[in-house]
Amino acid sequence: MADGGSAAGTPASDETVLSKVFGTLVVAWLLPGAGHFLLARRGRGVFFFLLVMCAVLTGFLLNGNLYRVLADQPLTILATLGSMGMGAPYFFLRFYLGYQGDLTSVGYEYGTAFLLTAGLMNLLLVMDAWDIARGRKD
Amino acid sequence: MPISHFFLMSLYALIVSLFFAILWRRNRRDQVRLLLQMFLGLVGGALLLAWLMFPFPSGPPAPIP
Repeated sequence: MADGGSAAGTPASDETVLSKVFGTLVVAWLLPGAGHFLLARRGRGVFFFLLVMCAVLTGFLLNGNLYRVLADQPLTILATLGSMGMGAPYFFLRFYLGYQGDLTSVGYEYGTAFLLTAGLMNLLLVMDAWDIARGRKD
Repeated sequence: MPISHFFLMSLYALIVSLFFAILWRRNRRDQVRLLLQMFLGLVGGALLLAWLMFPFPSGPPAPIP
């Protein structure tokens, strides 16, 4: 019990496993569904990718708000973190396309809901990938 | 592009329902059951809420800054 016995319990292998898990988490966050794809749940990974991207695209087409932190509105911090949960698409939209959303657009509120939901869904996927990678979930 | 509130609401409900059905259930039958439960719950709940709010006055339109 004291020495751990197997090679799987050694610090080196633990570090390897942890680095693999964290690597998977980072990839899962950056690209929706990629975590499941890397964890050999390829069908689910592709499905989740399509689903999250569908939400992002719909929010984008509806000119929804892509949250950013506003100085006098502390709740935007939470909303921004939620939106950033979608990973690379957030940064692509915000910094590459310069997308902000259009307050006067008819679909603004719906689009905001779609964009925020896409981020939150991907955060749930990251947590699911974490559970799978740690062996807590099938 | 004409935007229907009901269509967008249904699309949103479908995406969320599909997501949780695949995330939380493994068996296909259970997935379909949860999908239907969530989808009908979201759409039906929204319609019920809209129906309950129908007698209330809508008020002036929101100002656009």
